[in-house]
Amino acid sequence: MSIIRTESLAVGYGDKVVVDQVAIDALKGQIVCLLGPNGSGKTTILRTLAGLLSSVKGTVFINNEDLSSINQQKLAKMLAVVLTERPTPGLMTVFDIAAMGRYPHTGFFGKLTQTDIDVTMDALRMVHADYLAHRYFSELSDGEKQKVMIARAIVQEPELIILDEPTIHLDVKHKIEVISILKKMSKEKGITVVLSLHEIDLALKSCDTVLLVKDGKILDYGFPEDVIKENTIKELYDINTARYNDFLGTIELYNQCKDSVFIFGGAGSGTRLYRALTKRGYGIDTGIIHENDVDYFVAQSIGANIISEKPFEKISNETYANALKFIKKAGIIIDAGFAIGKNNEQNLSLLIEAIKTGKVIYSMRLKDEAKRLFDRTHLSQFTDKLIYCDSISDIVEKLSLEKCP
Amino acid sequence: MDFINKKTTRYATVLLILLALLIFAFLLNIGMGSVKIPISQVFTEIKRMILHQQSDQPIYKAIIGRIRLPRTLAAIIGGASLASAGLLLQIFFRNPLVGPYVLGISSGATLLVALILLAGVTFGLNIATPFLLFLAAFIGSILVMTIVLLISSKVKNVVTLLVIGLMAGYLCGSVTSFLMAFAEKEEVKGFIMWTMGSFSGFTWKQVTILTLVGLPGLFITLLISKPLNALLMGEKYAASMGVKIKRIRFLIVLISSLLAGLVTAFAGPVSFIGLSVPHISRLCFGTSDNKILIPGTILLGGTITGLCDLIARTIFAPVEVPISAVTSFLGAPVVIFLLLRRRNAL
Repeated sequence: MSIIRTESLAVGYGDKVVVDQVAIDALKGQIVCLLGPNGSGKTTILRTLAGLLSSVKGTVFINNEDLSSINQQKLAKMLAVVLTERPTPGLMTVFDIAAMGRYPHTGFFGKLTQTDIDVTMDALRMVHADYLAHRYFSELSDGEKQKVMIARAIVQEPELIILDEPTIHLDVKHKIEVISILKKMSKEKGITVVLSLHEIDLALKSCDTVLLVKDGKILDYGFPEDVIKENTIKELYDINTARYNDFLGTIELYNQCKDSVFIFGGAGSGTRLYRALTKRGYGIDTGIIHENDVDYFVAQSIGANIISEKPFEKISNETYANALKFIKKAGIIIDAGFAIGKNNEQNLSLLIEAIKTGKVIYSMRLKDEAKRLFDRTHLSQFTDKLIYCDSISDIVEKLSLEKCP
Repeated sequence: MDFINKKTTRYATVLLILLALLIFAFLLNIGMGSVKIPISQVFTEIKRMILHQQSDQPIYKAIIGRIRLPRTLAAIIGGASLASAGLLLQIFFRNPLVGPYVLGISSGATLLVALILLAGVTFGLNIATPFLLFLAAFIGSILVMTIVLLISSKVKNVVTLLVIGLMAGYLCGSVTSFLMAFAEKEEVKGFIMWTMGSFSGFTWKQVTILTLVGLPGLFITLLISKPLNALLMGEKYAASMGVKIKRIRFLIVLISSLLAGLVTAFAGPVSFIGLSVPHISRLCFGTSDNKILIPGTILLGGTITGLCDLIARTIFAPVEVPISAVTSFLGAPVVIFLLLRRRNAL
């Protein structure tokens, strides 16, 4: 049975529709996430679902009851909220704030029974804030406050919790903590969660359903794995200067620079270099990488020229020749210190070809390791032709010196 | 839970201390003055009065029964009312700078009193009797309150209401200034003394009216401490927990205006009590929990106002200084001191 369900719902203020055709249907213990740019109407949707705002048209059903016909006291036992506004309650302790959630359960004077105290402490324990119980709420950090606000919602013992951007202004640790608390809550207590997020990766990894909201419309609704793709994100946020990679769940800034550096990559050795050099305005050519390599995904998102081979295939002569063309063209060549195995051993001969062109080649390898490599092909005299760098900063520094002699 | 027990003990202790202070202030008020009455005599006389016995000290009986007892009761109930009204509005607006007069209550009262004292408007009655002043001030308060209440059901944001209250205050103040500009010097002095408040000359009749409206008002404030606590979280959270926002808004504005309006009508606009006592009490208890704070504020409001009134009438005796002069002079440093000691109090 649906805990929350909407029927031809349009949300907005007064007669003005902000988002039309909002279709949400969530079962017990599910997490539904709203994604969309600022100002797309996520907050308006959430407020309407929480009954804090009346709908322009259509109906919200909580437990199959029309939201607008449920009395406030009863609704408070079914639904709790965590809003973006942080309360400033003065001299109230964390315990006081969390215990506030008992409001619909306590009597006329709001006196707490032992059960109320136990429920409150359990919830604080669940959000890992029990050690803060005696502290004043106003003295906490943003992250701690948010956890307490979630505890307050849990204390209300609802079937549904609606959260508006619960991870906003939080550091990475608290972001992840908040999301894992919500997941735990939905699993252990069977509480249904509807929330809005800005972190696409967190949404992808934690939610059962996502709803993409943009310009007053619902772009898509469904499994996050089906809905969140490179193009949907580009469309949703109008991003042209960056690309989202749905395998890695990361956003890479797009490289639009002209003069190129050729990077020997593979097995993730290139990723950091791609990012570092993109940031500093170098265009990137890279090869020879297999299409299942993490370097491939990142290079693709960045928009580098990639000389690639099919997954798990040996590097073909054709690909090799193509790579050689790029190397001859390149101004600067960097060996990212790629690992060498059966399938990409041609990369080593390619590197030797590159050295033979007489161009400057920087390497992220240790000198001993390079020597061992060249010894294999009895070409140890090439060991000294490389310029060895021990860190990204080292390479970046040397490159910038070369650019302006 | 250990810290919960510790807190409960602290609350109970502070409440008992405040109660003892209130009784102490009450006895001091009755005993001190141009005629000093020993504490033991104060007890005997009050006991006799309650039991309707004859007194062997007719002078004491007259001073206590006719002058000091009604005045003391008025100061205590009046102070408690002002402090509670201030607390209610501070919670309502979630703003620590708000006092009971922020919605223009005192300005409305002042304007109508100015009409009588300065412009000589007597509403058909011949002389400016104290009763006429009371009536005018009360009508002024009620008028402003009604306007604010009508608006409060319309506006979405409480801050709008706050600004409207302030504007209503300025409007009344401006008309009052006009009246002052054209009034005689003597009249202006009398008027200004009224605007600084005084509990002198309270009759039993006035005390009865004050009690009949004030005590139920204070009682209702105690009854709504649960929704008031929820309001500390902001109106949206309160609504999500089941508080009927419109109803509680109406109740807060109604009760705070009635309490503040009534005291103003009898004693003039007594400043500072309504703003500062909630702060002092919050800092004494170390909590904003209204279940504790409201009784604390009532006790502390009564005590402080009682003591200030005592100082007002004794310090430069036989000249009596306006009570607002005393409340601000003593209260402001206390509030600053307490706030500096605890930074997060607001």
